[in-house]
Amino acid sequence: MTVEAPVFEETPPEVEPARGAVDWARKNLFNNWYNSLLTLALAVFVIWALLALVRALFSADYEIIQANLRLFMIGGFPADQLWRPWAATYCFTVLFGVVGGSLSAGARDRATEAGLPHVRTTFRQIVIRFWPIVGLIVVILSFTTTVTPTLLTIGALVAALGAYYLGRVLPRAIRRWTWLIAVVLIVAAYVALAGFGGVGWQGWGGLQLNLFLAFAGILIAFPFGLLLALGRRSPLPVIRTISVTYIEIVRGVPLITVLLAGAFAIGFLIPRDLRPSLVTRMLIAIIAFEAAYIAEVVRGGLQAVPRGQVEAAQAVGLTPWRTMRLIVLPQALRATIPAMVGQFISLFKDTTLVAVLGITELLDATFIVNSQSAYLGKGLFVVTLSFAALVFWVGSYTMSRESRRLERKLGVGER
Amino acid sequence: MTATMDYSDATRATGEAIIELEGVDKFFGDFQALKDINMRIGQQEVVVVIGPSGGGKSTLIRCINRLEKHDAGRVMVDGIELSDDLRNIQEVRRETGMVFQQFNLFPHLTVLDNVTLAPRQVRKLPKRDAEELAMQMLKRVKIPEQARKYPGQLSGGQQQRVAIARALAMQPKVMLFDEPTSALDPEMIKEVLDVMVELAHGGMTMIVVTHEMGFARAVANRVVFMADGEIVEVGTPEHFFADPQEERTKLFLSQIL
Ligand SMILES: Nc1ncnc2c1ncn2[C@@H]1O[C@H](COP(=O)(O)OP(=O)(O)O)[C@@H](O)[C@H]1O
Ligand SMILES: [Mg+2]
Repeated sequence: MTVEAPVFEETPPEVEPARGAVDWARKNLFNNWYNSLLTLALAVFVIWALLALVRALFSADYEIIQANLRLFMIGGFPADQLWRPWAATYCFTVLFGVVGGSLSAGARDRATEAGLPHVRTTFRQIVIRFWPIVGLIVVILSFTTTVTPTLLTIGALVAALGAYYLGRVLPRAIRRWTWLIAVVLIVAAYVALAGFGGVGWQGWGGLQLNLFLAFAGILIAFPFGLLLALGRRSPLPVIRTISVTYIEIVRGVPLITVLLAGAFAIGFLIPRDLRPSLVTRMLIAIIAFEAAYIAEVVRGGLQAVPRGQVEAAQAVGLTPWRTMRLIVLPQALRATIPAMVGQFISLFKDTTLVAVLGITELLDATFIVNSQSAYLGKGLFVVTLSFAALVFWVGSYTMSRESRRLERKLGVGER
Repeated sequence: MTATMDYSDATRATGEAIIELEGVDKFFGDFQALKDINMRIGQQEVVVVIGPSGGGKSTLIRCINRLEKHDAGRVMVDGIELSDDLRNIQEVRRETGMVFQQFNLFPHLTVLDNVTLAPRQVRKLPKRDAEELAMQMLKRVKIPEQARKYPGQLSGGQQQRVAIARALAMQPKVMLFDEPTSALDPEMIKEVLDVMVELAHGGMTMIVVTHEMGFARAVANRVVFMADGEIVEVGTPEHFFADPQEERTKLFLSQIL
């Protein structure tokens, strides 16, 4: 008999066995003479490589990053309009704050009503969970030359905290509309960037573009992926065949191919004056690509819902559509959250591929600055590329850890 | 009112037929799971179905609310004949509640939401009325205090009682039970059977697949023995247990009693 309650409290952090490391090393790394030799040789090489990297990074001249930080972050956004990206940043910090607070309050209320313990996340846990992000922000700020960005960042953190507490104390009736607040803030962010003489996404670059392509790509692809997954199970053979064909063709092709198709094929098919901008075409290509993968993720979630759930819903008289919407999808989608985050992480990194078409996203920006006359031939690639690597690593690592935490919390796979 | 039973010598049922099966066949591929089933069940009658595993008991009751589609014959519930017409199917499902061996509660909804779901979505009751109705049903199965919990927080016996309340909330005319206590720990069987006995005494028409012979003796009007997709023997509990006619029945009873 499983009496597995939905768990709302924090899972205690894993404890790593510190002892036995020596034993383990003896057993696995030094168990005979050639293994010992190999271990030593490898160790020497790794240490040498690390030292070389550290030496390069420590002795390096970081002026190249300092001088190009804006390019890395927001591409060629006009320098006299920096208030726009900052305003957008504030919109998003407030958004994350409100949504986080509201979700946390919802979990608290459900737990209280169900009589379950609800342990609040402590400040310490937040620091442990998000230290890479905090570290990255500090590193980035250390490359700024005036005090304004630091002040604005602190302001953004304060705004986020304020929004979090606001989200937590929102009355229930309003909390139900948090998604609307989120939509409004997203629109506000875009208007701040593009409206009234600003720059639309076709002119964006740097990290801002990577984030835009990743978030917009996955969010817009989601409904299409959902439809494809449902289409794949449709009783109508036509719909089923179309869905399966689409999914399998797209999944059989590398993303770069789809991007090239977006750049050139769509470009040739549509007359010049109707042709969407290159960034738009990249976004469409990414959506088309991601939809197929999301469809497969959702299919896995749908399969995880036991047949008995559908039968129970049918037995009380729910129509097939309501059964899908109220019973199957909520359970299926919850089960797909970790896989969806994984998909998002790989998309975040793959957005660098648009560089091939001459779009200056973060990776491309860190590459091309080396041909500026001041730095040409100075071999600063290791510095600039390390910076890009750090940004992508922090984003991916944090998200993957959060997703694993969520997975434990939702108890996926142990119904 | 006269009882109109195929096995009139074996019934004390009083009402008119509410469920009628005539010549029902069911195939899974080449395998015939139901063979020419004929059965009429009167209003307020309690029928217990027993038989060896794989005999077609589940398939039989799942044909009554169209979780399985029968391949030949007729299935009538309260005057509605089941056909491919979706409206007929919906109507029959409104009038039949079903309780499963594995409970099949909706794990993402609270107990209260499990019970109010169908009244609100299918019968279009306003939220307040649905919750009032749900609390009545939860009182009937004796767990109103668990309304805000999630199914995963309850014991098996409690979960099965919630499942009964969920079915009752549609105020069905017929209740179908498919081995409702088979997945339960022994100490929880009684609390579920007690609820079912009360339901039977309250006049609910019930078809119960179970191997709880005590339950059959206490409330069944008829006991049906099924094996190999056929109805082998039907009788009142007294006759059926004391004086089985068929060899297969005798063999089965000797194994389980
Ligand atoms: N969905 C199905 N597909 C194929 N065979 C099935 C299916 N459901 C039941 N059967 C078969 O039909 C027979 C009767 O099953 P069932 O009605 O579940 O028996 P019981 O409930 O009496 O144990 C069994 O042999 C079973 O294997
Ligand atoms: Mg069965």
